[in-house]
Amino acid sequence: MSEAVLPSPAEIPAAEGRRIPGNKGIWVGITCELVEFLVLFAVYFVSRAHFPDAFHAGAQRLSVLAGTVITLLMVTSSYFIACSVNAIRAGRHRSSVGWLVAGLLVALGYPLAKFLEITWNLAHGIDGSSGIFFTVYYYLTFNHLVHASWGILGILWVLARLLAHGYSADDHAGLEALASYWHATDIIWLVIFPLFYVLA
Amino acid sequence: MNMATEKDHFHLLTAAWLALVALTLVSLGLGEWFRTALWLPLLVAAIIWCKGALVARCFIEAHVAHPFIRRVLAVFIAIAPTALVLTAFFGATLARWATL
Repeated sequence: MSEAVLPSPAEIPAAEGRRIPGNKGIWVGITCELVEFLVLFAVYFVSRAHFPDAFHAGAQRLSVLAGTVITLLMVTSSYFIACSVNAIRAGRHRSSVGWLVAGLLVALGYPLAKFLEITWNLAHGIDGSSGIFFTVYYYLTFNHLVHASWGILGILWVLARLLAHGYSADDHAGLEALASYWHATDIIWLVIFPLFYVLA
Repeated sequence: MNMATEKDHFHLLTAAWLALVALTLVSLGLGEWFRTALWLPLLVAAIIWCKGALVARCFIEAHVAHPFIRRVLAVFIAIAPTALVLTAFFGATLARWATL
């Protein structure tokens, strides 16, 4: 009787079109994150349908510059982190570290820009009790900031592992998982930005 | 996976990033110049979808990902633009349905 040896999961090549970027765990988290924001977007659209004038007037009072800066910071940090994954896949460790450090530095600009935006808002009399538009705005954008802060902590952890040669061309699931989370958080901001800053 | 044969996606990633920056600036211009235009939400919704699809395809590589991941991203990226168009053109009906 011949002996059948099953390959371990790591040896089975991912079938075409069935790849999991990073790992399964991060996609459970990302799916939960997306569902959470879908609920928040439902709140936004129901409020907008009920109070179209408040949403029209409210958006004109926000700092478009702050929203634009945060958008550019998000897409740029996302790009840098994608380049970091691209570099480690090709076995370019130093280049991967460089891109990830750049991604971290740009990502840190987000909480800073948000702090300056809130300071500007308060100086212009805009707080959470300024009306329905601003309540929804603070609720949604603060929530996004919390998710981005987790992402920044994740970047720090992955950077530490990368510096310790914890990732290689053959094994970089952790870096890819972090990248997937950050890209998903980027997609969420790309929805938030026009809803509050463009549709005035 | 043989990394020696792995394709370098640097140019694709850079093109995607430039497109995202350009779309961001275009949407800002549209919001400023056509503030009262009835079709503005339609165009903004299209830009939201394009940007989301760009990040999903070029950065997350959703097109080669597991079908579940592909569907989750596709649904999420489509919902907000759809809701935006519905709110813009059928806001009163939506408000009536969402009234307790």
